[in-house]
Amino acid sequence: MSGVLTMGSLDPAFAAAIRVDGEPVVVDLRTVEFVEPAGLCALAALLEYLCARCEVVDLALAGRDVPAYLERMNFFRSFGERVRTNADVASLEDRRRHNPGTLQELINFHGEEEIPGIIQRISEILENQGYRLRERVAICSTLSEVCANAAEHGVSSFGAYAAVQAYHHIVSGSRRRGEEVLIAIADGGVGVRETLSRNPEYAEYTATDNDALRHALEMGVSATGEIGRGGGLALVAGIAARAGGSLSLRSGSGRVTVYENRKNSRNVPEFPGTFVRVSLPRTPQESSYK
Amino acid sequence: MVEERAHRVFEVAGGDLGGKLMVTRRTGRAVREALEGALEELPKGGILYVDTRGVELMDYSFADEALGILVSRSASGEYGDRHLVLVEEDRDLLENVEASLRQRSLAMIRVDEIGAEPGIVGKVPDHLVETLQAIYDAGSITNAALAARLDLNHTACNNRATRLAKLGLIHRRIETAAPGGRQYTYERIA
Repeated sequence: MSGVLTMGSLDPAFAAAIRVDGEPVVVDLRTVEFVEPAGLCALAALLEYLCARCEVVDLALAGRDVPAYLERMNFFRSFGERVRTNADVASLEDRRRHNPGTLQELINFHGEEEIPGIIQRISEILENQGYRLRERVAICSTLSEVCANAAEHGVSSFGAYAAVQAYHHIVSGSRRRGEEVLIAIADGGVGVRETLSRNPEYAEYTATDNDALRHALEMGVSATGEIGRGGGLALVAGIAARAGGSLSLRSGSGRVTVYENRKNSRNVPEFPGTFVRVSLPRTPQESSYK
Repeated sequence: MVEERAHRVFEVAGGDLGGKLMVTRRTGRAVREALEGALEELPKGGILYVDTRGVELMDYSFADEALGILVSRSASGEYGDRHLVLVEEDRDLLENVEASLRQRSLAMIRVDEIGAEPGIVGKVPDHLVETLQAIYDAGSITNAALAARLDLNHTACNNRATRLAKLGLIHRRIETAAPGGRQYTYERIA
């Protein structure tokens, strides 16, 4: 495990999790020094998967920063009762403090009806922090569309997890000056390929998970094939790409990342569900930080 | 002259369903049902102004469910001879409405405010744009006059205007013309 917990850094854990069959499991995050929202949501999905398959799941953490961050992000509210950890969570609760970069703590949701409340709250936080309307619209539209996809297509026993964090530097790729908002959502549903396969018209686009992911990012592609459907993800990817950011979609054994001028695909270990990570850099002229 | 038609203004950000943040298909469906109720209460020929100016955010799912499907049903004749006009300024919020209507190959008349010069949001086939412009420039014009203005034969002109009427972008009036004939008059709706 590298120092940064991202969606991709959990790939070895996803590969190992598929083989788990009741025995005790330790998720060793002791080398992790930094957790980004996609890593947090992916960890939540991984632990949901493991908790459903074994009685004892241990989470090994080192230092104070990572446990403190997980506590601030409400991670232990979801998993404190189900996962054992070496971190002293009780002492972290006493030290709890607000982090202005936290736009949305780890939140678990199950239905579309919960989304307007989530958007209302994050919009107020963004407004209070001086984000301009255009930035708020980009962040809230992204979150609402991807959450709606998860609620509609990612139906699972645990629903879906989302988290949003703002940074005073660019964390995607090489760390550099700038500001960036990361939005992440993970669900435990059947995945993009199976969802699209329900529409026979897409047979030639669903041979592999990566084929299905690339096709799902096209405007107007949806499971039902109804006109008007299947626009949200394509538009959200466009918003991120135009802002100089990216959208990554991981499902099954595929992962596709959309940038302004290119789409990258790669094969990853098979794991249930769909994960989305969106990077929205703030451009200097739009930044209103004092 | 364009006859004054009954109209009603529906403020999307106001009322029980409203708010500045309009997201999800579920919310869009509720707003569409309210819009359908308002449309059906209008007399034939009436105009429903859908005012979204108080809305800060409208995601694609909401825009498609509330407006895309509404315009689609209107174009298929579900609400009879009643018209929709979007009241919205030229701002980012229109992108999702535009995307939804383009996906559906549909369009709506849009005005910055009631009484302002109309524009289009969505997709109007190129060959109909000139016809639409001519009708809006005239305010009200017969098929014969429009055909002469566009240098088209009457049938071609009528076909184009009928298509625009079906898209809900103009109002079409049929008048009996002596002896025993019919005369079509096309009118702008905003």
